[in-house]
Amino acid sequence: MATMSTVGRGFAAAVAVAIAGFLVVPMLIVSAPVEPVMGVVQKIFYFHVPCAIMMFLSTFVAAAGSLSYLFKGAERGDRLAHAAGELGVLFGACVLVSGPLWGRKAWGVWWQWDARLTSSLLLFLILNGYLLARRYGGPAGKKLAAALALFAAVDVPLVYKSVDIWRTVHPQTTVVPSLDPAMRPAFWASFALITLVWGILLTLRLRLEDARATVEELHLMTDDLAEEQP
Amino acid sequence: MRVQLRARALPAIAALAVLLGSGAAYAQEYVKVENATREQLPAPQFVGAAYGFIWVAILVYVFVVARRLAKTRGDIADLRRRIESASGADPRR
Repeated sequence: MATMSTVGRGFAAAVAVAIAGFLVVPMLIVSAPVEPVMGVVQKIFYFHVPCAIMMFLSTFVAAAGSLSYLFKGAERGDRLAHAAGELGVLFGACVLVSGPLWGRKAWGVWWQWDARLTSSLLLFLILNGYLLARRYGGPAGKKLAAALALFAAVDVPLVYKSVDIWRTVHPQTTVVPSLDPAMRPAFWASFALITLVWGILLTLRLRLEDARATVEELHLMTDDLAEEQP
Repeated sequence: MRVQLRARALPAIAALAVLLGSGAAYAQEYVKVENATREQLPAPQFVGAAYGFIWVAILVYVFVVARRLAKTRGDIADLRRRIESASGADPRR
């Protein structure tokens, strides 16, 4: 019980920090210097990149959970994979909306079928396929979805390295390490905030999955009781 | 006869090639346009739209998950009550 209240307090503290970050990070982004080539629109970078990293992280967590479900039969792993898969779709949508808004201003087009954009879209579609397979895949849906999560994880390194392997219009992976020192506080604060929000959402979503598992167990108990009664 | 035809065709082909070649070269040139209106897109609106979309998406997701969680917890309480009344035992044990 004490552990539960500690977890509850930790969760509440994380939510409070996230709300504070929601107020502070925009101020840091506004006060960060304007990039000379792209201008003000480059500021989309401060939340576009962390959202992309969260999409990758969600995919890896979904794949790890799916691996434990496929090879050890761990139901908890499957629940973690489901929660992370949904977050992958959420942050993927954020990436695929903020990116074209940046591209329209910086490149003059909403979309380019270049390697980075296409492989990111592919990852987003695989994660959507994961959720659809779970929902409509029937009795084998969970295992089919788990296999899709593994494919999604394989796509992540391809998405990341695509800008270095192929010639694309998208900025390369060297952008973050070579970031101007004056731009770093805004980027890392935004990254910390979005990572914290990701953690809060994963915890919340996992609680929902655990509650659903409890409902299933209780349904089984009520069925057993109904059979026992004459 | 054939020699005559060749003698007439070759200069004609050469002239055509020169014309086409110069045409292609002309098509590849950039032409400067004076006083053209340049597309001006308001950058702060694009940044605001991207930032707004991300936070609205996250808030809507939190709202949806919180609602689903409240409904599921309601289902748990209801099922526990039913089990208790059916068996007289506490299902949490």
